[in-house]
Amino acid sequence: MTTALTQGLERIPDQIGYLVISEDGVLASAGELENDERTAGVIMQMVQTACKFRLHGTAEPPFKRLSVMFEDHAYLVTVSGQKVFVVKRQNNQREPINV
Amino acid sequence: MGCCYSSETEATEQERDERKPLIPHPNPDSKPTNGTERNSGNLPSTRTDEQALLTSILTKTALNIIDVSAADSQGMEQHEYMDKARQYSTKLAVLSNTLSQKKPTPLPSLTSQPHQVLASDLVPYSDMQQVSKIAAYAYSAISQIKVDAKEDLVVQFAIP
Repeated sequence: MTTALTQGLERIPDQIGYLVISEDGVLASAGELENDERTAGVIMQMVQTACKFRLHGTAEPPFKRLSVMFEDHAYLVTVSGQKVFVVKRQNNQREPINV
Repeated sequence: MGCCYSSETEATEQERDERKPLIPHPNPDSKPTNGTERNSGNLPSTRTDEQALLTSILTKTALNIIDVSAADSQGMEQHEYMDKARQYSTKLAVLSNTLSQKKPTPLPSLTSQPHQVLASDLVPYSDMQQVSKIAAYAYSAISQIKVDAKEDLVVQFAIP
């Protein structure tokens, strides 16, 4: 089952690591996120917070994916079947963001 | 004699009229030296009106003032503190019991195709730029909120 879960993640373009997390802990991990319990904990909290966000009149959270963007990489997070999927991908977009 | 007397009386009458205040004295305790009986007859209603006005001014002022100097002396007794502390901790204990029984809300399913969602394109650079710009504007707006103190918070009343 774990293989089936992770096979698709391996094929994601520019993927440099991934995590599959359940409420009990990390189910699978690889690449730069291998055994990264700390990142798993932080992302779990972010997902739980984001899922509390509702737009008017909707029962479900109004998003499919949570993107945590950095200059050269990004964490992409989604939830399916009580599991949190996290993929760390390279961010090849050109200019840095200036605030 | 009689003349003298009558003229004297006249003088007193005149004096009374002169001393009669145009506006009745607001303080009932300090009575005018003469003409008390005459004044007391027609004044009560005016006096009560003024008293009511003064009282309302006093009340309004008192409502707008926090007496800082008296704050210490109005503190609670030791046993009152203890009672309150006990009361609050009992309430907290009850609340925390009900809280711990609640499980964290289960995560909703955001998609049935997680791999596809994660493999799709990253957030476009222009979107990121727009979000950053909006956040910067919001930050700048929030940092410009300030309290404009126009007068002293504590003033001394010149009460002897």
